Amino acid sequence: MALIELREVSKLFGFGDATTLALDEANLSVEKGEFVAIMGPSGCGKTTLMNIIGLLDSPTHGEYLLAGKPAAGLKSNQQAKLRRDQIGFVFQFYNLIPTMNVLENTALPLAYRGMTPVRRMKRASDILERVGIREREYYMPKHLSGGQIQRAAIARALINSPSILIADEPTGNLDSHDSKVVMELLADLHRQGNTILMVTHNPELTRYASRVIYMKDGTVVEEEETDIGDIAQGALLTYLRRRKTTPMDVVAGVSALMKDVPDKALKDLPKKSRKVKTTRRRRTAKRKVRR
Amino acid sequence: MWTGYIKAAIASLRTSRWRTTLTMLGIVIGVSSVVTIVSLGEGLKSQVLGQINRLGPDVITIRPGKLVSGPDGNSFNLLALLSTSALSDNDVATLKKLGSLQTVLPVNFVTSSAASTEAELNNISVIGTGPQLPQTLGLSTNLGDFFDDRAANEKVAIIGPDVAAKLYSIINPIGHTVAVAGQDFIVRGVLNPSSTGLLVAAQTDFNSAVLIPYEPSKEIVGGKTNLLQILIQPGPNVSPDQAIKDAHATLLKTHEGVEDFTILKQHQLLKLVNGVINSATTFIGSIAAISLLVGGVGIMNIMLASVSERTREIGIRKAVGATNRQILVQFFSEGLVLSSLGGFLGILAALLVNVAFRLYTSLDPVINWTVISLAIVITIGIGIIFSTAPALKAARKHPIDALRA
Repeated sequence: MALIELREVSKLFGFGDATTLALDEANLSVEKGEFVAIMGPSGCGKTTLMNIIGLLDSPTHGEYLLAGKPAAGLKSNQQAKLRRDQIGFVFQFYNLIPTMNVLENTALPLAYRGMTPVRRMKRASDILERVGIREREYYMPKHLSGGQIQRAAIARALINSPSILIADEPTGNLDSHDSKVVMELLADLHRQGNTILMVTHNPELTRYASRVIYMKDGTVVEEEETDIGDIAQGALLTYLRRRKTTPMDVVAGVSALMKDVPDKALKDLPKKSRKVKTTRRRRTAKRKVRR
Repeated sequence: MWTGYIKAAIASLRTSRWRTTLTMLGIVIGVSSVVTIVSLGEGLKSQVLGQINRLGPDVITIRPGKLVSGPDGNSFNLLALLSTSALSDNDVATLKKLGSLQTVLPVNFVTSSAASTEAELNNISVIGTGPQLPQTLGLSTNLGDFFDDRAANEKVAIIGPDVAAKLYSIINPIGHTVAVAGQDFIVRGVLNPSSTGLLVAAQTDFNSAVLIPYEPSKEIVGGKTNLLQILIQPGPNVSPDQAIKDAHATLLKTHEGVEDFTILKQHQLLKLVNGVINSATTFIGSIAAISLLVGGVGIMNIMLASVSERTREIGIRKAVGATNRQILVQFFSEGLVLSSLGGFLGILAALLVNVAFRLYTSLDPVINWTVISLAIVITIGIGIIFSTAPALKAARKHPIDALRA
C-alpha cells in the first residue's frame, strides 16, 4: 500500500473568467521510504501539489489517500492532527516565528500535542543537536544564517517524528555551502527510513532523490527512477543544457523555461541508460484497456 | 493547559509593549473610574448613615418638600430636594408651642461666606440653629462652649475646625470676630473635627460651618429664613409616632392643608438617604462604565489588528499542527490577559485615588470586596466579550491563505 496516493487530483483557484487550473488530474503514488524530487517550470503546480499532500490545502476534485485512508475530505481539526503527527514541513522561506527563539520554534508542534514545557524543550534540544545547531538554540531567528534557520526549520519538521517530510524548495534561499549542509541532512533522514518529498529547481539536488517527478501544466508528465548519487538524466538534459527561447516561442508567448520538461531530451538518450516510466504512456495504456 | 496559553499570551503581549500598555490604559481608566465612583458612593453612604444612626432613635426630621410618596412611602421624589424651602419661622414657632415636643431645632442656612480680619471664606455653611444642636447631633467643642439659651439672641458664633484654621492664623480664635453678611459675630467656641462629609444628616459639613443662634440668623437677612430642616424630639412619655402625628397635624394646619413637607423617623431617613446616594452612584457609575466599554472596544480593535498582522504566524502554527480551537484559545487568552491586567491595574489606581481622597478631602471612600469582585467580573467579562470576534477570526483562517499572507 502506497503511503501517499493521489488519484486524478485537480485544483482550481478563483472563479468565473478568472479561474486558474493549478492541478489537472494529477496522479501520484509514493511508497514509504522514498525520496521524491519534484521538478518542473514555475507555475506548473508543484507547490499546490505539496500543499495538498501536506493537508494545507484541499483538492477541488480527485482523491487523496494518506496511508490508504482518504485524507482530503477530513474535518479541519482532523487534518490539523494529521499535519501535527504525520507530516513535517520545510518551507523555502523557513517560516519560523520571529518572536520566538530557535528552541521555542522547534518545540512548537509539541505544544499542540499537550506536552509539558520541560519535556518539549528537552526534546527540541535533542533534535537541534541532531541537526547541528544546539549551540544556537537560544538565538532568535534573525540572528542566524539562512542555513542555520533552515536547519532549525528541519528540526521543527522532525520533532514529531513524522512519516512524511515535505520540503518546498528547501535550498531555494541558501548559498551552495548551506544547501549542501541541508541536503546532507535530508539525505541522512532518508537513510533512516523517512519519506521525503522535495520540490526543487536545482538538478544537482536530484542526486539525493530515489525518484524524480516532472510536472507541467498542473500534471505529472514524467517520472524517473534514479540511483542515489546520480543526477537524474531528465533534469540533467533539461536544466543543465538550457534551451534558448526561439523566435517562434516569442510569437507563441512562451519561453524556454515554460517548456522545461525532459520528454524530448529523455527520448534522445541511448536505451540502456533509460529508467523511465512515463505517466502519459501508462494513462494511454489504461485507457486502451478500458476500451 | 491554560497556564501554557497564558504564559504564551504574556510573552506575545510583551513583544509589543507600547501597544499593550496603551490598550490596557482604556480598561485601567474605566475600572478605576467605576471603582472610585462606587467607593465614593459607598463612603458617603456609610458617613451619612453613621451620622443618622448617631442622631438617636427619637430624633425626627422635618424636611421641606414632599420627598416620599406612594401608599407605603417607598417612592422617593428626588426633585423635591430642589424645591424652595416650604418651612417657615412660623412653623418653628407653632411647633415650639406643642406640648408633646421636647426639642424643636431649626437648621437655617444663612449664607456661604464668612470673613475674619485676615481672610475670607466663600465655600462654607453659615447655619442659624438652636442651643440644643450639640446634644441632638452628638457634636462637641474643642475650645470654648456652645451658645446656651441665654445667648440665643446674641451675636455669637461657633466655628468648625477647618474654618478656624483658614480664617485665623492663631491657635485660639475665641473672642475674635467673624463677619457674616456684614455683621460681626464673636467666636465663642470651636467644634471638634467630625467625620462628616458633604452630605450629612443636617446637610452640613460641620468642619466647614459657622453656627450662629437662630434669632440673629433671621435678622441679618432681613427676617427671612431658609430652613433646611427642623429637628424635633418627643417629650417624656410621648411616643415618636404620637409626636409625628401631632407635628403633622400642626404643620398641615399652618400650611393650609397642603402637605409640602416630609416628616421622617430615623429609619425612614436612612432609607431616603440610601436611595438618594444609590441613585446618584448608579447614575454617575453608569457614565463611568461607558469608558469601560470604550476600553473594551479598544481591546477588540487592537486584537483585530494583531490578528491581521500575525496572519502568517497563524499559518505557521496551523502548518505545524495547531487546531482551530487551539488558535482560538491562544488569541482569546491574549484578550483576557490584556483586560484582566488592565482591571488589576485599574483597581490599584482606584486604591491610590482612594488614598488621595482620604488625605486631601473630607470624603472617606470605601473600597470593599464587593466593589473589587465586581470590577474583576466586569473586566473578565469585557475580555471575553471583546476577544471573541478577533479570536474567531484568527481560528477560522485557512492555513494556506494564512501562510501566503
